[in-house]
Order: sequence, then C-alpha cells, then structure tokens
Amino acid sequence: MSQGLAGYVIRRLLWTVPVIFLISVFVFLLLRLAPQDPIDSLLGQRYDDEIADRLRAKYGYDRPLHIQYLKYVQNLFQGDLGVSTRHGDFSVAEVVIPKIRVSAGMNIMAMILIFGIGVPIGVYAALVRGSFLDPLVIGFWLLVDAVPVFITAVVAPWFFALQLGWVDLTYEGVIHPNIILPVFVMALPGVAGVARLMRASVIQVSSEDYVRTARAKGLRERTVVTSHVVRNALLPMVTVVGLSLPGLFTGTLFVELLFGIPGIGREALLAVLGFDFDVVLGLVLFGSILFVLANILIDIAYGFIDPRIRITAARSV
Amino acid sequence: MTSMATPLEAGDFAGRPTPRFRFLRELVHKKIAMIAIFFLAIFYLAGIFAPWVSTDDPNYQRLTIEDRLAAPSGDHWFGTDGAGRDLFSRVVYSARTTLLFTLVVILTGSLFLGLGLGLLAGYRGGWIDAGIMRVGEVLSGVPTLLLMLAISAAFRTRLNDVAFWLQENTFLGDDARAIVPFLIIVGAALPFAWIGSARIVRSQVFAIREQEYVLAAETIGVSTARLLLRHVFPGVLPIFLVGVSAGMAGIAGSEIALSYLGLGVDPSTPSFGTLLQNAGGVRTFQEFPHMLLVSGVPLILFFFSWNLLGDALVDIVEPRTYRR
Repeated sequence: MSQGLAGYVIRRLLWTVPVIFLISVFVFLLLRLAPQDPIDSLLGQRYDDEIADRLRAKYGYDRPLHIQYLKYVQNLFQGDLGVSTRHGDFSVAEVVIPKIRVSAGMNIMAMILIFGIGVPIGVYAALVRGSFLDPLVIGFWLLVDAVPVFITAVVAPWFFALQLGWVDLTYEGVIHPNIILPVFVMALPGVAGVARLMRASVIQVSSEDYVRTARAKGLRERTVVTSHVVRNALLPMVTVVGLSLPGLFTGTLFVELLFGIPGIGREALLAVLGFDFDVVLGLVLFGSILFVLANILIDIAYGFIDPRIRITAARSV
Repeated sequence: MTSMATPLEAGDFAGRPTPRFRFLRELVHKKIAMIAIFFLAIFYLAGIFAPWVSTDDPNYQRLTIEDRLAAPSGDHWFGTDGAGRDLFSRVVYSARTTLLFTLVVILTGSLFLGLGLGLLAGYRGGWIDAGIMRVGEVLSGVPTLLLMLAISAAFRTRLNDVAFWLQENTFLGDDARAIVPFLIIVGAALPFAWIGSARIVRSQVFAIREQEYVLAAETIGVSTARLLLRHVFPGVLPIFLVGVSAGMAGIAGSEIALSYLGLGVDPSTPSFGTLLQNAGGVRTFQEFPHMLLVSGVPLILFFFSWNLLGDALVDIVEPRTYRR
C-alpha cells in the first residue's frame, strides 16, 4: 500500500521535471527575446552604447541564447539564482527572501481569517438551508467576493483610516496593528469560496449513514453536528488549504501595491517592468515548483486523513 | 441492452422534455439567476450598442476647470474624469472592451482549445491525456498574473512599431493602435483560459465513453470526429457551460487587472481597469468619489451576476449537494 503511494508520488514528480523545464525555457525565451533588456531599464535616460555594451558583457547578455540558458541552469543546480540588476547586483535570494517573508506573514493571517469566517458561515448556511437565510448569507458573501481588491483597497482605508481614524495607513512591519486592514482586505474575497464549499460538504455529509446512526442512537443534535458532520465535512478543506499554500509565497499584488507594503507581489511586478531577468525567472520557477509540491502533499494528506482514499489510490496505481 | 430488444417508437419521447429543455426550464425557475441574466443582458447590450447608448465621444476631452472632475449632472450622468471626458460614455465603452475580450478568450481558449484538448484527452486517454493534464496542472500552478504580466511586458516594447506599421500598411487604420495591445493581452490570457474547461470536459468524456450508445456508435464504424461531435459533445455541453460561466468573471478580471497596471489595453481604449486606475487612491476617492463609484458599481454588479449565475447553474447540473 505504501509502495503504491510512493510510486504514485515518484511518478508525479517525474512528470514535473519536463514540464518545469518547458516553463523555464518558455519564460527564459520570453524575457530574452523581448526587445528590451535589464540594461535598457537600468540606464534609462543615461543610455550610452559603450556603457551598455560593457554591462551586457558583465552579465553575459551578449552571449548566444543557448549558452546563457545553460549557464543559468548550471548556476541553478549550484543554488545560485543569479543577481538582481535592479538591486545593485544583490543575489536574487537576498532580494526576494525578506519580501517573501512579509507576504507569507500577511497571507497566513489572511488564511486564518478566511477559514475563521468562511467555515462557520458555510456550516450555518447548510444548517438553515431551505429557509431564506441560506441564500441570503451565501449571496452576501458572493457580493463581497465580487468586489475587486483594488476597489476594497481604496474604500476600506478611506472609511477606517480617514473617516473613522481607527487605523493608520503606514506600513510598520508585519507584526503591527496597521497590518490588520490590508490583511482584512486580502481575506474578504476568499470567504465566499470557503463558505460555499463548506456548505456543500456539510450537506453531503449530513446524508451519510453514520450521521443517521448518530441521530438514531439519540445523540444530541449539537453533538451530531459538531463531532460527526462538521469534522468529516472539513475534509475537502484540505484541498483548499493545500492549493492556497503556493499563494502564500507569491503575494497579493494589488494589496501590496495600494498599501505600499514591500511584499513579493509588488517586487514581482517591478521586476517584470524592469526586465530583471533572474528575479522574474526565479519567482516563476519557485511558484511552479511550490504548486506541484502542494498538490502532491494534498494527495498524501488525504491518504492519512481518510484511509478509504489511500486504499483506492493504491489499487488504481 | 434491453432497449435493443424492444424497438423504440418515435412517440415514446413525445411528451417528455429533452434534457436540454429541462436545463433551460429549471434555469427560468430560479429567480436570482434570472435577475443576474437580466443585469448581464443590460451590461452586454450596452457594450454591443455602445455608439448608440453613449451620450458622448468617450475620448473627447474638455480641459477647462469646470468640466474636469465634475460630479454627475444632467449633462454628464456619471460626471467627468481628470481630462474632462464623459464617464458615462467611458463606462459604456468599457463594457464593450470587457465583452470583446471575454468573447475572444472564451471562443479561442475555452471553446476551441479547452473543449478540443478536453475531448482529446478524455477520449484518447493514455499518455496524451497525461501530457495534456500535466501541462495544464503546472500552467495553473505558475503564478498566473506574474506570467501574464511578463508576456504583456515582453511584447509591449515593440508595440508602437508594429501598430504604426499596421496603421500604414493595412486596412486597420487608426484602430491598429487599439487592436495590437488587445491581441497581446488575449495572448497572455490564452495559456490559462483552456485549463478549467479542458478538465471538466475530460472527466465528463471519461464517463460518457463507457456508455453503451458510444460503444454502439464505435461498433458501426462511426468516425472519431463524428463520434465526438454527435455522441459525446451533447452530453458534455451542459457541464461545459457551467464551467465557462464559472470562468467568465476570472477572464474579464484578468483584462481589468492588466489594464489597471498599465499593461492591458491601450490607454485610449476605455476599460474598467484604466477607469479604476484613474479613480486613484484614497485621497482621490475622498475628493472625487464619483470616479470610483460610477465605474466600480457596474463592475461589482457584473462580477456578482456571474457569481450568482454560476451558482445557480451548478445547482441545476449537480442537484445532489444542493436540493434535498
């Protein structure tokens, strides 16, 4: 059984290699074949052919493309992601890691908020289904979900900071009360998805035999709901948590942009606009690999939580 | 098998509604879905008939103090923006941009690529299936916005040359300046637009492939193309539509996000992204709230309607988890 799982994981990982390779080639060519390079945006108005040529020679941008790519891959295997031309040749890791930390911190808080609000709302909606409250509650959060972040990120600060004066808008680090508002703005659109999934899951679990058994043996409704229904209904949430794991590190561009937070989303945008080759490529590869790993983790986690899935998975392999 | 033994009379199906009509009838019964469809119809009709609906040229500037940033009035129903352009007309034309973009991406991405690859993967199976699905899996895992930004930025720099060349040498004329950036963002959205629908179609094909009527069609030697189109496709259609409607808001949103960041449509082309960008930050909102509200509210209603409609469609196609 465990061998089946191991084989499955290995097969998934092996599939990942060619696809990640293709993505890296694609992004590499996309950036290098663009009519602009980091040197153009670095020099800007002070562009001078001689200086530009020397800089291109320094970074190796004057060499043939396949040599550049091979060099990149060679460095990659030695753990060297290259340097950021926009940040005075600091290594990609040095530039990116502090910003990933900021984004990850905010994202974890946002996720806690999303599940803290979404799960109870989903359970509530499922319990009152058939009445007008169910569509009303879900509908409300669908409306919240429909508000683009770049509207909330303007209106919420206006209301809470300028009108009510409850918070300041300056960024003072992740562990600071000022972070509450951006985290809140980040979390709002996610609630509807979790609530809807939780609602469907609770409804489905409610019709299981063991729930009927629990009721039949005279358990209090409260106990049935909390320890039989909700506990099992939380299972599909593993997927949601797992799928949002890579998102923890890719940042939320608009919130970071509008609140002036030095996170990885904003860094990625600036890197793209400045054609900071190595930073963009590094972030794309990092994000893709994280996603694949998260998917595999979900499968393994399912196996641990629900043995029935493990057995069928092993059989099908 | 039993149905083979007793030949069916044409009249057997007379009184029974076909599944397709059942689908429509259930949709009509959902009041919320009908409200959503009603609003979406207004939105899209305004977009289609933008030149007749709008009250002014969306790009006509009035650079006098009293005409700039004016609040809504009888002359300008939605007020004017920083360059004195009529916001009502700009919103109407933005609906047109959204409509065009989603239409092109849905037709090429979801319909052509998504349906095609989904049918292929589901019907052929094996390593073709594994290949298509793995590519989709990783593509959906790539930081989408980042890659779209990179694609858009990479092609942008040569943009003016291409646009001017098209303007000089083809029938496009002045439209070339708007069309080229539009095509770039369509190209940026396409790699991600097919994945969702391909996945849905594939899993559906897996189920249908095992049905006896498909086997029967195979046995009498129906060609693969005809088999897929005549026998498999109709069964896939309802759930495919659900998938498309669930993806609509996301596709429209990607254009708006790119335009907001200045990497989307040409600045002269009205788009909700550029409108909201112009509506500015917190201070601008405090001074001139009409700019954000008149472009934000229609957009929120648009997304909301698609959310509601998508919810209702899932309800109909998969009643198991919803009505009991």
